[in-house]
Amino acid sequence: MRSGGHRRGATIGACCAAVGLVLLLAACGPAAGSASSGAPAASAGGTSVTFAMQPGGQASYPFAFFTDSTIGEDSVYNVNDFQYLMYRPLYWFGTGVTPYLNKQLSLAEPPEYRGKAVIIRMKRNYTWSNGEPVDAQDLVFWINMMIAEGTNWGFYNKSGLPADIASVHMNNNYEVTLDLTSANFSQTWFTNNELSEITPMPMAWDRTASGQSDCDVSVTHCIAVYNYLSTQANKGVSAIASSPVWSVVDGPWKLVSLNSQGKLVVTFNKKYGGPVAPHHITSFTELPFTSEQAEYNVLQDPTAGQTIDVGYLPTVDAPTPPAGSLVGANPTTLPDYRLSAQYLWQLSYMPYNFKNNTGQAAIFHQLYFRQAFQMLVDQEGVIDGPLHGYGKPTVGPVTLYPKTTYLSAQVANESDPWALNIQEAKSKLSSHGWKLEGPSSNQVFTCVRSGTGPSDCGAGIPSGQQLTLKMIYASGIDWMQSAARELASNASLAGIRLNLTQETFIDVVDTAFGCTSTAPASACNWQLALWGSWTYSPDYLPTGDTLFEGGAANNAGGYNDPRDNQLILATLQARTPRQFDSAMRAWDSYATAQLPVVYEPDEATLVETIKGLDTGPLNSADTITPEEWHYLK
Amino acid sequence: MTAYLARRVLQAVAVVLLVTLIVFGLIRLAPGGAAVGVLGSGSAHQQFLVQYLTWLGRVLGGNLGRSLRLNESVGALLAASLPRTLVLAGLSTLIALLIAVPVGLLQAVRRNSVVDHVLRGLTYLLYGAPPFVLGLLLILYLAVDAHIFGAEGPQATGIGGFITDARDLTLPVATLTLVTIAIFARYMRSSALDSLGQEYVQAARARGGGEGRVVVSHVLRNSLVPIVTLLGLSLPQIVGGALVVEILFNIQGMGWQIWQAAVNHDFPVTLGFTLVIGVAAALGSLLADIGYAVLDPRVRTSRA
Repeated sequence: MRSGGHRRGATIGACCAAVGLVLLLAACGPAAGSASSGAPAASAGGTSVTFAMQPGGQASYPFAFFTDSTIGEDSVYNVNDFQYLMYRPLYWFGTGVTPYLNKQLSLAEPPEYRGKAVIIRMKRNYTWSNGEPVDAQDLVFWINMMIAEGTNWGFYNKSGLPADIASVHMNNNYEVTLDLTSANFSQTWFTNNELSEITPMPMAWDRTASGQSDCDVSVTHCIAVYNYLSTQANKGVSAIASSPVWSVVDGPWKLVSLNSQGKLVVTFNKKYGGPVAPHHITSFTELPFTSEQAEYNVLQDPTAGQTIDVGYLPTVDAPTPPAGSLVGANPTTLPDYRLSAQYLWQLSYMPYNFKNNTGQAAIFHQLYFRQAFQMLVDQEGVIDGPLHGYGKPTVGPVTLYPKTTYLSAQVANESDPWALNIQEAKSKLSSHGWKLEGPSSNQVFTCVRSGTGPSDCGAGIPSGQQLTLKMIYASGIDWMQSAARELASNASLAGIRLNLTQETFIDVVDTAFGCTSTAPASACNWQLALWGSWTYSPDYLPTGDTLFEGGAANNAGGYNDPRDNQLILATLQARTPRQFDSAMRAWDSYATAQLPVVYEPDEATLVETIKGLDTGPLNSADTITPEEWHYLK
Repeated sequence: MTAYLARRVLQAVAVVLLVTLIVFGLIRLAPGGAAVGVLGSGSAHQQFLVQYLTWLGRVLGGNLGRSLRLNESVGALLAASLPRTLVLAGLSTLIALLIAVPVGLLQAVRRNSVVDHVLRGLTYLLYGAPPFVLGLLLILYLAVDAHIFGAEGPQATGIGGFITDARDLTLPVATLTLVTIAIFARYMRSSALDSLGQEYVQAARARGGGEGRVVVSHVLRNSLVPIVTLLGLSLPQIVGGALVVEILFNIQGMGWQIWQAAVNHDFPVTLGFTLVIGVAAALGSLLADIGYAVLDPRVRTSRA
């Protein structure tokens, strides 16, 4: 998870006063870089690109090896937009718009599987910027550190790395064999969700304060090396660019500067051995922004001190695209840019709390209720309304776009089986022992037939129980607020009282994932929690073992269904890619029908690119490869 | 005067200590072990007072802690954002004062004239206009359309570059100034009207003093007392930042940083920045009292 209408008089009055004052201010000092002409945008052009980051984020942490204490640094800003520019992962994901393995950009050939053995062959064309080859030793260095940190490693998985490694062998300078504890695993899963977490590290990093170490040979020495590297990484943002440690890179970019505001400048690494575009750019700058509006202001002002070549457009400022189109017209205020829509490889959902201890869990366990509740989510209405057409509905754990071989044919070929239908939702509840009670203007369903029969409310639901629910949702996201209010409105029409509470994004996530076995009872009283989505990165497969398997660490609501668990296990044990795809489609079909969570609409990311710059397709894995960007002649 | 000052300084120190106690107490009450996040895992089982004194000891030693998400010390973040905010808010307050005092005085002297009505309407308008609306209008007309000024604040890392970038600094300062002018001018008008009705002003006129001299020598000085209060109370705002303007103009100042810290549960930053704003509030109050004493001798004699 990488996580006005104003009176005309008022307007004119304010402007008059403003003009007078700003002219006074302008007279106070030199107009540095002032340009009063309405000249068209002039991108830096040729060899450099300025990229505006998503608002609120900035790069600050260079060390790709995350532990429990640093896993909070695992963000798109730190990893995709910063570390990946300089340090390349063993396997790169994102081919075209899909999240599939990218063989060209990976440091190693696709792994070879032989029983319990996984053979990884490093490509020979990559070198570190200090001249040393990127080889098997660098891979073993990472693996040994992962073994040394064990459960403290940020991506530790009890049925995956490093727990499933029996031994590691360096066959030669470019080949490593991992002997696993079992042969009963899916090759696709291991490549996409396990090996995807590895980033080879240079021998220049295999050291402590007292000198060179040998973590690549001896696991016991790795903790000291990790501590040294962690200390170096935590010396502060301004110390990163001048650090001899972080200056050794195998990626296409070398860090020139990174300031405390988050402005990042990198220059092309001439020793990079991977593919680059002819006439590619050689300087890449990332700019931080405090808000979407601030970024949009600069996009609109082509004479600004810092011109943006690639930046983000708030969805609310985008004209709605024509029916059937992924992208519509660019706003007229941005004539020098080209608009693209990026659909990320993620799941947008809201968990039910099946572990709720205030009496609602029994309701959530009823499939008919989950079906009825899903039919109150107007996904198309949210997409057409607050999202201005830039979104896609979610109907199951495998996203509809980009289309992958994991999507069940049934889901791919049919429209949303749980599309908005308030009458049908009411009918389902009425036929399962619920009756509308109360004053006609404010009727709420009440269970009148407790029991477990086909027309009863269901196990654990007492007679007299009302359908009154509480939902918390993340503040600060306009479309989500609209979606939550519309859901509450639809619920009210269907006889369900849905009480909404806004909290910060982090508070909602903390609440949703806080009901653990060791947590106090108060941590389990939440009912529905909406924060947005789960991004499938750096575990790129939407297998259910992460979010939907009984007992999984990130199964926020505690959903646990034997058939679901069985189908998930089948995906993890499917040996060949073909078997895997088949198992995934079977599970996707089941999870679509069973509704383990409330499926929510997924917002697209809108990207503005200056005309004349070719950046290739926008990757759903949310990775960027500026070394492949170039200006068209 | 010395005794008065000493007593006020001691009161200010007590207020600051109280602020630290309250803020630390609130952070400790926050769910998720916020206090442990600030002090480190070793403090998990310590009593509140021990934790508070440990934290206070570090603060007095200049250690405000380390951000949980920005890989920087709180001191470094303060050093980067406080100067920007001081320039932005300080400059706008100064310019607002230079405009509002004569405007308010003119309104009082020309009470109920056309000039007074026009200026009063304008100040009402600015007083009621939200900064984000003013800021957006300025950006739209003067940056995006006319290209006279920048659409964002100065992006220089150093304060030298920040303060000399007049093109980019103008609109954020103008936005804050316009709002502040309205407040100061209304107070100044009201205060000057009170002064104009005082016997000492009529006596000065009776002694043959010219209207200009009477206004400048007698009305202005006495009318400035409420403005001094306002200035003192503005200090925490000047230090604390103008959140809306900083967000709108892409300025990573105090307001934006503390908001981000609060939203992201970055407790060391929240605590450190709140402490600085609390100190500014106490200092502002102290400076306002000193200002009273300087402007009005009765204050220092009656309280000393």
